[in-house]
Amino acid sequence: MVDKNMSGTVLNIQRFTIHDGPGIRTEVFLKGCPLQCRWCSNPESMKVQPEVGVNKEACLGIDHCGWCVDKCPNVALILEEKKIVAIDREKCSNCLSCATSCPNDTLKIFGNSMTVEEIMKIVRSDRNYYEQSGGGLTLSGGDPLVQWKFSLEILKACKLTNIHTCVETELFCKKEIIDHILPYTDLIITDIKHMDTQKHKLFTNVGNEVILDNIKYIVKNNADVVIRIPIVPGHNNDDENIRITAEFISKELNNRIHQLQLLPYRPLGVDKYASLGLSYSMNGQEKINRDEYKKEIENIAMKFQSYGIPAVTGANKLL
Amino acid sequence: MQMSATEVEKLVSQVLSEMGRQNFKSSTSQSQTKAGFVPNEVFGEGGCEPFDLDYGMMDTNSPELQEPSPFARTNRILKRVHSIPETVSDERALLYTEAHKMYGGTGGSQIIKNAKILAHILKNVTINIYPDELIVGEMGCPARYAPIFPEFSYDWIEDELKNSPWENRKQDRFECSAQTKENLLGIADYWNGKNLKDQLLGVLTEEEIKGSSAGGRPVFFPNLYMYGGVGHTTADYETLLKLGYGGIKKSIVEHLSKIEDCTTKEGIEKREFYTAALISLEGATCLFKRYASLAAEMAENEINSEEKEILKTIASNCEWVSENPPRTFWEAMQLYHLATNIILIESNGHSISYGRFDQLLYPFYKKDMLENRITKSRVAEIIESFYIKIFELRKLRDEGTAVLNSEVGMGGTTLLVGGVDKDGKDATNDLTYLGIEAHAHTRLTDPWFASRWFAEAPWEFKVKLVNVIKIGTGQPKLFNDAAIIPASLAAGRSLEDARDYTMVGCVEIDSGGGKEYGAHDAAYFSLCKVLELAINNGRCIDCGSQCINWSKCGAVGLQLGPKTGSLDTFKSIEEVKESYEIQMSYWVDRMATFINATEIMHARTKPLPYLSTIKRGCIDNGLDCTAGGAIYNFAGPQGVGPGAVADAMCAIKQLIFDEKKVTGTEMLDALRKDWVGYEGLYNLINSDRVMHYGNDDDNADQYAVWGSKVYFDEVMKHQNTRNGKFLPGLYCVSANVGIGLCQGASPDGRRAYEAVSNSLAPVHTMVGTHDVKGPTAMANSAAKIDHLIAGNGTLLNVRFSPNCVAGDNGRNNFVSYIDAYFDKKAQHVQFNIVNTETLKAAQKNPEQYKGLLVRVAGYSAYFVKLSKELQDDLIGRKAYDSFD
Repeated sequence: MVDKNMSGTVLNIQRFTIHDGPGIRTEVFLKGCPLQCRWCSNPESMKVQPEVGVNKEACLGIDHCGWCVDKCPNVALILEEKKIVAIDREKCSNCLSCATSCPNDTLKIFGNSMTVEEIMKIVRSDRNYYEQSGGGLTLSGGDPLVQWKFSLEILKACKLTNIHTCVETELFCKKEIIDHILPYTDLIITDIKHMDTQKHKLFTNVGNEVILDNIKYIVKNNADVVIRIPIVPGHNNDDENIRITAEFISKELNNRIHQLQLLPYRPLGVDKYASLGLSYSMNGQEKINRDEYKKEIENIAMKFQSYGIPAVTGANKLL
Repeated sequence: MQMSATEVEKLVSQVLSEMGRQNFKSSTSQSQTKAGFVPNEVFGEGGCEPFDLDYGMMDTNSPELQEPSPFARTNRILKRVHSIPETVSDERALLYTEAHKMYGGTGGSQIIKNAKILAHILKNVTINIYPDELIVGEMGCPARYAPIFPEFSYDWIEDELKNSPWENRKQDRFECSAQTKENLLGIADYWNGKNLKDQLLGVLTEEEIKGSSAGGRPVFFPNLYMYGGVGHTTADYETLLKLGYGGIKKSIVEHLSKIEDCTTKEGIEKREFYTAALISLEGATCLFKRYASLAAEMAENEINSEEKEILKTIASNCEWVSENPPRTFWEAMQLYHLATNIILIESNGHSISYGRFDQLLYPFYKKDMLENRITKSRVAEIIESFYIKIFELRKLRDEGTAVLNSEVGMGGTTLLVGGVDKDGKDATNDLTYLGIEAHAHTRLTDPWFASRWFAEAPWEFKVKLVNVIKIGTGQPKLFNDAAIIPASLAAGRSLEDARDYTMVGCVEIDSGGGKEYGAHDAAYFSLCKVLELAINNGRCIDCGSQCINWSKCGAVGLQLGPKTGSLDTFKSIEEVKESYEIQMSYWVDRMATFINATEIMHARTKPLPYLSTIKRGCIDNGLDCTAGGAIYNFAGPQGVGPGAVADAMCAIKQLIFDEKKVTGTEMLDALRKDWVGYEGLYNLINSDRVMHYGNDDDNADQYAVWGSKVYFDEVMKHQNTRNGKFLPGLYCVSANVGIGLCQGASPDGRRAYEAVSNSLAPVHTMVGTHDVKGPTAMANSAAKIDHLIAGNGTLLNVRFSPNCVAGDNGRNNFVSYIDAYFDKKAQHVQFNIVNTETLKAAQKNPEQYKGLLVRVAGYSAYFVKLSKELQDDLIGRKAYDSFD
């Protein structure tokens, strides 16, 4: 039985995604992530709780609007030249009233509570696009396994109505959770961010032991797996790391993966950090020469291929 | 009393002798390619190229610099034609005027007079054959010139000649020599009062004109058939190709002999019609023979042996089909082309469409191929030469139209491939693929290339289409058999005719076989203006002294529409709906009067005897097509702005009645002040915090469904003057820009005079687009509107970024997207494959983007030539990217 009324915190539902799994898909992004990757382009997905972001360029000014100021119980909105520029996060009680009254997303709520049924109503609307293209649902995040019970109900609801499912996860979780999820998951997309646990920890806040162990576990359990490596220059693109990664995939996993996708790191999300009052710790990467970078990723793909690994560049070549 | 055989013979010989002939009998009797191109010459294996050839994105450089075809001949023709500046020609206008005076003096029959005028033009107009072409023939003027049609309207021609010369225009720019100007001004006095438009306005009351585009504050826009010909039809090519002109003449003579009673009004009128029909066909034969002689003469002087042979063949093709039915593919193509041009010379009406090209020509192709008379690559070259001939056709429109619907070109040169046959079976053949490839090899705005699509169509065919769409020319547009066949049946056509449907103009459904005179572009009707009047007690929202009608309307206590209440007093959304329904009934009635009066004027002053000879039904009925001679007779006015109506209703429902954030009075005040002082409300309405059409939300989409249905129901109550029905469409081409320019601010979050939503698309305003859920949600919303009732056509424009459809996966998802949208019984979809950044760059640096083609609406055009307003509208449309 599916618990249709269970609710969770949803960051966003994106229809017509075509790169996270096969065909035309609806991607449900759940809030909360166990990792804190420095290059993360969706910092608003890290916390499970809803939060308010400030897009100060959009503010109409309190002379023309001012609806938020009237609603805030804590005088937490910071004004400059009669426009909202930030939230005093110390004073803010996260009641969301300011953002609820804002007419134009100057104050935007990240994270809404939705039930399984509310999500499924949207997912079902594009059923015939899935059928024509071999697509379906993708659960992503954050990491959807942070809210794993909620994810499980969504996956069950999909399988009940024969909708293809894909879960994009860091696999930084207990095996029991994987045991619950796998029977309702057609494809798992996961990452290997670094083979050296110290470096992994430096850039993501956690070591890689649990993740690598879980990857072995799901491959052993015959899950269909796509592994992604975000190639971050100066972090994980050195020959040594590539070699060890390739050996892990070829020896420990026997190359039993669907595909290895090498993705370029893009300095996206800088504005979002600022909007949430967070600092961005990947400065300097925007100076990368895109052409050389693209060539480097292609070279890395060839190295992986020499191990018999089905490596490709980009996320749009899924067979 | 029937006419005796001698009498018939005498009448026929009289016609012939007037045309300077004795009888109907006709008097007489490999290519360079790009390196690496190995054409597939095998019959039955599709086109010359692999079905999955990826053409890549088009080059946006100057078109003159491009060589899109593997055939050197095609590239040579393209280079030549691209370099000809568009120019106005006075020759047809002068010949028409000369003949009008010559035959008008005697009084007599209008239809016979028109036939003689046409024949006079065809006998005397200057003709040319250009280098390299395989198909010859012009529309009464040189290639890329536009002829003038003084008989329809002349005030704008005179005015623009004097005050805003065509060579100074920013859009639809035409050269015009001093001599041409002088000649055209010289006939202005003659045509004043005699032309169709002047006579039409004389039979309408001021009240009827008031809400039309002729009255200043339009609810509806019946311009097209007031200023020019009706067009929007397709000939009975099947019969023409089977019988030839000679066979049709024979049939006319048989009908003439069989007129039962020549003492009656009916009998005499039939005789009048047949006489005119014969005269016009004789004119046509004469034009073909003139091209034959010219080609023969040029062959004599040609030194290049290959070209000499081609000219000889052209001469023999023209000579043979001047009277006889074609025997070969090449002959058939020659007849197909020039016979169509003669329709254009006669009638000026644009959207003379070519019908189902691959079905009509296939028997000739098959026979030639099986008998080894032709190679597939020569067939491809002939088709490409033919496409470029269509691109050569140009039409001059008044400046107002040129700003609003800029760069339409000839207009409606729709050519269709694909689909099922009369028995419902897959009819895809080699010519289907060759037709698609010919667009990839010419990459022109014309023909307006269209394809039918059905779920069971071959995968190869779908891939070929999608790969050509990915080039980014905006062509072809796609039509869904699964929706159009039932819609066509519902309109009253037979199952066989519904399956054999063709597309006319932009997106209009027409029965195949030239059986229909559908007047498919009778008017544009603003659904949003009706809503404006419905929420403001029948007054324009911006009613005031700035209005051009103020002194005779608002200032004297009058208003545009009937009083049906306002947001000041409405207590529920139901009351808004009721008011809209009453206004709708009033305005559709007004429009019907206007359209029918226009039809009457066309039938009286501009019967079309030549076109009628190749429309099925006219000869059998002995009746001209303007008078109802065709088998199917519709009139199609288009509703504009269902998205805008929906979003306005959403804002009213949610903010006034549900959440009570504003009062109705405040909303009206905001609109009258164009949102000044209401910035919060304006931004709120333009945010996703208010529900909007286009996001697959039933609560919002219901108002688009309702707003359209109210219009459909009112339109379908009316009959036209040709014993046919009114059939509503739901699209606007680019009229949404012009309609917006006539309307004040509206509750969908639109500023005054901003464009209204286009066709089935969601609203986009200066703040942004209202659809935020992606292309599947948008398509689902559009499919909720009843496409089976919208019998005159619907239009959905979708823009994808090139990245989104790249590679095999992108291509396959693209095919799936179309299949899934069409599975929901939607009629039509067309695509732009271009980034917003590219469009913005082209607007800024037009010199570097001369070749950038974009899909405007029913047509594609060069982006840098469009008006700023239309460019902005295109940039503002949502581009769907992929999200990774």
